Amino acid sequence: MVNMILKSLTLGVLGLPALSLAEDLGAMWGTAEAEAKYYPLIDIPIPPEVPMHPGSFEILPDQKLAVGTRRGDVYVITGAFETPPNPTYELFASGQDEIFGLSWKDGTLTAIQFGEVTRIKDTDGDGSADQFHALTNNWGYAEGHEFAFGSKHDRDGNIWVALGLSGSYKSHNLFRGWAVKVTPDGKMIPVCSGLRSPGGVAANAEGVMFTIESQGPWNGSCSLKHLKQDHFLGHPASYNWYPFVVGLDAPAVEPKSNSRMQIEKKRVKELVPPAILFPYIKMGRSISGFQLDQTKGKFGPFENQLFFGDYTLSLIMRATTEEINGVWQGACYPFREGLDTGIMNVQFTPKGQLIAGGFTTSRQWPVRGEKPFAIQRLDWTGKTPFEIREIKIRPDGFLLNFTLPVDPSVAAKPETYTLTTYTHNFGAGYGSPEVDHTEPIVKRAVVSDDRLSVRLFIEGIQESHIHDFDLAPMMSAGKKPLLHTKAYYTVNEIPVVQ
Amino acid sequence: MRSSFFIFLSALSLSHAQVILPSVESNQLAPELKGRVLIEELNCVACHQADESFTAASRKSPLLASVGARVNPEYLKDFIASPHTVKPGTTMPGLPDSLSPQEKETIATEITHYLVSLNKGHEFKQEAPDSVAAGKGNELFHSVGCVACHSPRDPDGKELLRKTSVPLGNLSEKYAHKSLRAFLQRPHSVRPSGRMPDLRIPGQDLDSITHYLLKDTRIPGNLAYTTWRGKVWEGLKGDVKAEKAGQTHDFSLKDFQGGNGKVPQHTAIRFNGFLNINTPGAYTFHLEMNGGSLLLNGKEILNEAPSDRRGVKKLTGTANLKQGWNPIEFTYFQTGRNAFLKFELEGPGFKRQNIPSSLLATLDHPIPVVNPLKVNPDSVAKGKVHFGKFGCAKCHDDIKSTPKNYPALSALKKDHGCLSASPTTPRFDLTPKQKKLIAQALPKAEAALFTDLQLVNKTLTTFNCVACHDREGLGGISPERNSYFTGTSETLGDQGRLPPPLTHVGAKLTKSWLKEILLHGGRQREYLNTRMPLFGEANVGHLVEGFGKVDSLEEATLPKVVNIRESKNAGYQMIGAGGLSCIACHDFNGQKSGGAGALDIIHTTKRLQKNWFHLYMRQPSRFHPTVIMPSYWPGGQAIRKEVLNGDTEQQIEALWAYLSDGQRAKSPKGLSRQSRELRVADETVMCRGRGPASYRGIGVGYPERISLVFDSREMNLRHLWKGEFASVNHGSFQLRGDNRITFPEGIPFHRLTDMDGPWPYKGKTNYTFPHDHGYQYRGYRLNKEKRPTFLYHYGDISVEDYFEDALDEKGKAYFKRTMTFNTTAPQEKFYFRVASGKKITSAQNGWQIDSLKLHLSGASGGEIRHGDPQELLIPITLPAGKTTLHLEYRW
Repeated sequence: MVNMILKSLTLGVLGLPALSLAEDLGAMWGTAEAEAKYYPLIDIPIPPEVPMHPGSFEILPDQKLAVGTRRGDVYVITGAFETPPNPTYELFASGQDEIFGLSWKDGTLTAIQFGEVTRIKDTDGDGSADQFHALTNNWGYAEGHEFAFGSKHDRDGNIWVALGLSGSYKSHNLFRGWAVKVTPDGKMIPVCSGLRSPGGVAANAEGVMFTIESQGPWNGSCSLKHLKQDHFLGHPASYNWYPFVVGLDAPAVEPKSNSRMQIEKKRVKELVPPAILFPYIKMGRSISGFQLDQTKGKFGPFENQLFFGDYTLSLIMRATTEEINGVWQGACYPFREGLDTGIMNVQFTPKGQLIAGGFTTSRQWPVRGEKPFAIQRLDWTGKTPFEIREIKIRPDGFLLNFTLPVDPSVAAKPETYTLTTYTHNFGAGYGSPEVDHTEPIVKRAVVSDDRLSVRLFIEGIQESHIHDFDLAPMMSAGKKPLLHTKAYYTVNEIPVVQ
Repeated sequence: MRSSFFIFLSALSLSHAQVILPSVESNQLAPELKGRVLIEELNCVACHQADESFTAASRKSPLLASVGARVNPEYLKDFIASPHTVKPGTTMPGLPDSLSPQEKETIATEITHYLVSLNKGHEFKQEAPDSVAAGKGNELFHSVGCVACHSPRDPDGKELLRKTSVPLGNLSEKYAHKSLRAFLQRPHSVRPSGRMPDLRIPGQDLDSITHYLLKDTRIPGNLAYTTWRGKVWEGLKGDVKAEKAGQTHDFSLKDFQGGNGKVPQHTAIRFNGFLNINTPGAYTFHLEMNGGSLLLNGKEILNEAPSDRRGVKKLTGTANLKQGWNPIEFTYFQTGRNAFLKFELEGPGFKRQNIPSSLLATLDHPIPVVNPLKVNPDSVAKGKVHFGKFGCAKCHDDIKSTPKNYPALSALKKDHGCLSASPTTPRFDLTPKQKKLIAQALPKAEAALFTDLQLVNKTLTTFNCVACHDREGLGGISPERNSYFTGTSETLGDQGRLPPPLTHVGAKLTKSWLKEILLHGGRQREYLNTRMPLFGEANVGHLVEGFGKVDSLEEATLPKVVNIRESKNAGYQMIGAGGLSCIACHDFNGQKSGGAGALDIIHTTKRLQKNWFHLYMRQPSRFHPTVIMPSYWPGGQAIRKEVLNGDTEQQIEALWAYLSDGQRAKSPKGLSRQSRELRVADETVMCRGRGPASYRGIGVGYPERISLVFDSREMNLRHLWKGEFASVNHGSFQLRGDNRITFPEGIPFHRLTDMDGPWPYKGKTNYTFPHDHGYQYRGYRLNKEKRPTFLYHYGDISVEDYFEDALDEKGKAYFKRTMTFNTTAPQEKFYFRVASGKKITSAQNGWQIDSLKLHLSGASGGEIRHGDPQELLIPITLPAGKTTLHLEYRW
């Protein structure tokens, strides 16, 4: 959403016509019907008297769902996880700013709103909050589009907040373009600079915190970025706040515009390359909130993977991460399209369902799902789709893991795998086309004994490139094609041969 | 001057067009009262002296001091010469028939000169009507209530119910846009007697109605145009709505440019007119544009579809043009890249060039020009004499003139004078029936003392209230006008489109609410398209008492309520979801209902008499045969047995008790929160985000209908106001209400080292402010009534800052503020900047800061820092422990 609003703003400033609603949103994956067999979409009805523009979700005790909204309300829904959903809505708190982060810990709900991290509590137990303790409001917030998205509590009880720039290009107020960490006693610790217009913030299975970044200046496409302490994530507008961080100096150099990530990350030693690039339109356009699947298999064969909502294309994607040579990287995969509205956030439920919700705006930014607002739920039917479960890198290729055994006669053929690579221009311009295309050679494909994995031996792996996999011919042992034939692995580092 | 037209009219005038007073015709008023109404409407007592009550009730004639600016002098002259032919049905009498048509015209001309000479304002000037606005005006004219009295019209403008309507005459001949609009906006400033009521129509709608009424105005021009906006390439129809119409000078875009000098993209403009050709022959049109089409003499010679995918094209088209006026229609599309228009013509003896305005006309025949009347002093002097001599000044008494005496009313006889066919008296053109009614009323006229009922009925007739409202025994909406009453909520049936009946109204509404409606424009039924107009206090004010005297209903049994809290709570339960769910259909406290959008019930006890409420709730259909509202106590038996033991009277009383809290009534269960306007009921309501105080402002609306904004960035009170609270849009809010007091931005406490030094506030570049001054915001907590206590630190001092709304002895709301400071160590002096203003003076127990009265206890002293504005600083020194400061804000 950040991405989209900023874009319409920018266009307005340049005097270009606003995007018309009829704008082509790009081809769909075309898999919605097949996906529905495994992950049907279920509507959580919203009563007409409730103004519901969801921005964040959290699970409360007793199977309750908390929803933070743009209007600054927190509603508590009971019955949202039932089948069919039988929701009743209770207003828990109101009068806050836009809430794009909710986290429950020790009987208190922490809300991340645009100007503040607030611990909200119902001390007298009447179902309505009466204590609004401001943990911090110490970042600058004085312009429109200075959004704030927050994480759940990390293992140490901290809340991480990603602070968007003042527009796409500038940082006018304190720590805009930074991620900060707010400790349980209200201390705000700056983490890293270089963000542009981040969306959701969440940790992976290893507890490492990431944020999702939008396409724009210094960002050729949307990407998942590692919030690495004292590092720099690519957009230099936020360099101006280093003097306000005790004991941390600004990087000695700024990245050069119209360059490449693999060049600049060597020049600017603080620069952390994006862990996962999401090729534009193929994999989302305005990626928003995300969460780790820790449902212990209740949501299907994707335990410990990240699930992302997308605002513009109204879809859900997933990703896997691995740390190579001290740098995070990984792959993203299509998952589910055809949701009803612009998805702002997602939330796994105790029953292993995935809640997804959001809204559309009237700002002429097109959204594929046409409902003005919605809360939906993805339930796993228990049937396992034939999917590329995970791609991992190897010194001389990749290891592809599948959700069902593959047909070895197809899987062992190198021509089953079409692999291309590309990257983006790294610079101050808005976004980037895909550039520097290469076609690595798939030399061999070796199927594992359990037929759940295939080891690919590749010649020509490209550092800092997206590796675009197309496995259209692939067949399962049961002669089923893949539900999604595409996957995208971002190579930051190539592991050394052991 | 159109003398031939005048003679034509004079000839017509031989046939009588009679006075039309539809309200008298249509309703069931007693005949002698009808005669009385006629005497009053014809203002007989202006000449024929009668007692004061008569004069007061009589209709004053239009004020004429500025008629020269208001009315076309041509029309004025024709109207004076023969009112009944120029405006058939008018109550204005004509000149005596003993005068010849020529004499009448001379006199009318001279009176016109005299009247125009009185005009000190602008000259009368017509303008071309906007046919697009006129379309909207047509809808409004037929829906907001105009046609309750005036005649509805067919699409060609033909009056459909002329005989039963108050006549308008030919308005295009009479008025200019400016003068008619001004009249419609404030009709009582010209016609003080309120027969033409003030409909309180918003400005833009007023424009549209005026354009509609004057749509036949023709003034000379070069080209007529209409514009459209939107997806114009899909055709100029359907969703692509016409935007405006008017006249322009040539085929250029300069009249269509916006503020940035550009025609808005996706505009279509259609030009219509006639092209004057000297030398007949083949002419070539050279055009450059993205898209458009050109028709000459009805034949298309050029057509290029508009496209956003390309730029401008060069196009040519040729037509054989005849000598004289050739119809031309050109449609232009502002589409595509770098859109512009070039429009040139080339032909025999005509060098390639833009078409000059002089060759273009909106019509192929000349249009008479209305030239300002050149006032002739000789005529003025003569006109002034006529004005007195013919008694004009008797009715139009805003103009002083030599009076002429006529017999007193009591001396009048039937079949004499104005009621006879005598050629020497003014011509009223009354119908025999009207004459008879007047004759019947004459003997009683002088001594007429009316009963209350007669007076009410007479007023309802005079002002034609029954044209819109049903009232038993008097009349109501006529069948042929019924379909013009429309509404926006179909689900409400007839109640959603017809103004409420007035039967029993005096036993239904409270006096204060009647007053609100009749005199102050109070409005409850927003779903009615017909607007309740204002008739003026002097004219209808007596109805407030009058209705109460004449209407009565039997007394319902009102139960004794023992436990008022229990009763209110039962009312609360019944009105919300899970109870009788009144809010499923009814709006509540400004919040839209789920469905029908029926009347907001929050004002029930303010509007209605309790007795009527009890009777109505038991059996709604008794008062509205077609009512949708069901009875929840059929046959007097409660459906909800579990509430208040199923006691019908107690249940109805409970609704009343609950609703009597008005806007402070606790919001019922299931009430919508969709509205962007936040309403405060029994608990405070809060909002925050960007708005009237930085991006971290917090708005709090309190139940006593006073509100404040606290800036959580600077921990400072920024605004106080009264009335409505705020409206929100995600992440932002705006103040509503009024009586706002504003406090300057900046931190509240500071250790000023130099009394001339600046008071710190968050500028653009002091990035760490106010934390660099030792401040830290810590949120707020809510008490049982949801009132917040703001929490923050100033250095080692922790502050609890609580505001409470309170009522003074006169029932006026004010704020009590309690600031509690807590510190472990004594604190040396700092200043609390309490307020700033143009003028600060010390007052009893406190200070006066402009309109704000500030009462302070718990601290002494106070210094006024001079400057613009002045600032009030309170020195504070804290001992270790707790210190409390009390403030009261009254304004």
